[in-house]
Amino acid sequence: MRERDQTRKKPFSCVGYSVPRIDALDKVLGRAVYSEDLSFPDMLYGRVLRAGIPHALIEEIDAREAKAMDGVVCVLTAKDVPGINRYGVAFQDQYALAEGKVRYIGDPVALVAAETEEIAKDAIKTIRVRYGKLPVITNPHEALAEGAPRIHDKGNLLLHTKIRKGDVEKGFGEADVVVEDTYKTHVVDHAYLETESGIGMMDKQGNLVIWSANQCPFRDRRQVAVVLGMRENKVRVIRATTGGAFGGKDDVTVEIHIGLLAWATGRPVRLVLDREESFLSQTKRHAIEIWTRWGARRDGKLCAMEGRVLGDTGAYAGLGAFVVKKCGIHLSGPYFIPNIKVDSYSLYTNNIIASAMRGFGVAQAAIAHESQMDELAKRLGINPLNFRLINALDVGLSTATGQVLYEGVGIKATLEKIKEVVLNHPSLQSYWKDLT
Amino acid sequence: MSKEPGKTLLKMKVNGKAVEVMVNPTWTLLRVLREELRLTGTKKGCEQGDCGVCTVIMDGRTVNACLVLALQTESKEIETIEGLGTADQLHPLQKSFIKHGAVQCGFCTPGMLLSAKALLEKNADPTLEEIKRGISGNLCRCTGFVKIIKAIQNVHR
Ligand code: FES
Ligand code: FES
Repeated sequence: MRERDQTRKKPFSCVGYSVPRIDALDKVLGRAVYSEDLSFPDMLYGRVLRAGIPHALIEEIDAREAKAMDGVVCVLTAKDVPGINRYGVAFQDQYALAEGKVRYIGDPVALVAAETEEIAKDAIKTIRVRYGKLPVITNPHEALAEGAPRIHDKGNLLLHTKIRKGDVEKGFGEADVVVEDTYKTHVVDHAYLETESGIGMMDKQGNLVIWSANQCPFRDRRQVAVVLGMRENKVRVIRATTGGAFGGKDDVTVEIHIGLLAWATGRPVRLVLDREESFLSQTKRHAIEIWTRWGARRDGKLCAMEGRVLGDTGAYAGLGAFVVKKCGIHLSGPYFIPNIKVDSYSLYTNNIIASAMRGFGVAQAAIAHESQMDELAKRLGINPLNFRLINALDVGLSTATGQVLYEGVGIKATLEKIKEVVLNHPSLQSYWKDLT
Repeated sequence: MSKEPGKTLLKMKVNGKAVEVMVNPTWTLLRVLREELRLTGTKKGCEQGDCGVCTVIMDGRTVNACLVLALQTESKEIETIEGLGTADQLHPLQKSFIKHGAVQCGFCTPGMLLSAKALLEKNADPTLEEIKRGISGNLCRCTGFVKIIKAIQNVHR
């Protein structure tokens, strides 16, 4: 940890120093309160029945056995939702409880609240759902295909974003070398060590209070209120200490279900997803397929770039449209390219929902643009780091969307620093020579 | 303590204190610590022995509390994070974790600290490899492990 430099004229208290986390003490003592650490007298345990089937019509739900079980306090399905059975941070295309149809294996179909966790688990298993199977779309190509089955009424295309800068045809006309390739990335789970969890209850003044592992309590409460048919100011979502999120707790996870069960039973309800359920039902990093073509001149300057980004956002939007859009916007990387044409498509499939995760689409773009840069450098016979320096964005240059950068562009300084370290590092010097 | 049907009396020591608690034979040690004794510093991440956030020390050895049945702890000594140090008297490992930025979300921290403690008790000056092996049962998804390893290496520096 860097000690404070006493000679500085105007010492800041935090900026420029390593300071201990404000909550580190509670955490090393084991007394930081995560949502599952809370419990209340009379508390019930919630459990969600998931579809377990990727695309189907719900023909019948028979929960009679579960309802009759000792210790089961309530069983809820879509018809019990008191407000509007829709949510979603940006597009309200998701159902608190599946209505008529399921679109991925993790779709919630029914909720149970019971006196113990064991009873809740057993009760879920007794609920019989009759499904009418529908054809399944497992990748963006199938989603785009002519005559593809529609996952949502509006079709399978969630968002198409066009990036247009300069004149790509003219740009490629100037190119001495052109590199074209397709890159595919796969789904990644955030795998925070704390699964999605929370606890909630109706208080004596009729407020619904929920503590949960979340990233955006105010966005969550807005969505809870709509589904519960409550005024927003009667819903409180409190962020308990959260055991990792990385974007995976950006969307609503357990909050609406907790709200529904607490409202229906009038008792505190704890709902914690087990690890397997978290993997099978919660949001992921997008699998993205990127086709892209880059042109450069013999002097090392990039002159044109074209791309097509197909993002598999799974069954519901979450923040997916923006992730895929961002992947397209950043496909040119931290480089100045005068002529750009990129089309990105965010597509519904019957896969698990993809939404926010660290990097928000840019990590996928980086795999493509850095591979393109290496390949171009090789074909041009230019050292790959120098090639990046030639093309790095700088003050006064414009990004893919035409934004002219006025300040705070650190890529060149970063690359220079890397070069300095490499050139002064005994075992890396020969590596550098091989590249040159 | 009154007898409850299906439950058995368990006697053990937790953080130096004798404890008596009625347990269901199917319950794990994790369940008893968290839900019956309300020692919630021991975390639950997978309930199948994969993540290590439930690590506690049982008779000097680390165990995954989610894999130990409560009744297996009869007459045993259990150490949890609540017994490691106090706010006024932190354990050197706790200080070192704070100092080296080894704590982020904190969910792995209690288990990680106990694994480190068990390691240092057997081996006061472990090599890098030995530290890595010592915490190989504890996942951390936030820190990338580098700072945790530094904190353990520099615990007495
Ligand atoms: S909860 Fe015990 S190892 Fe994960
Ligand atoms: S600090 Fe978050 S998992 Fe280790």
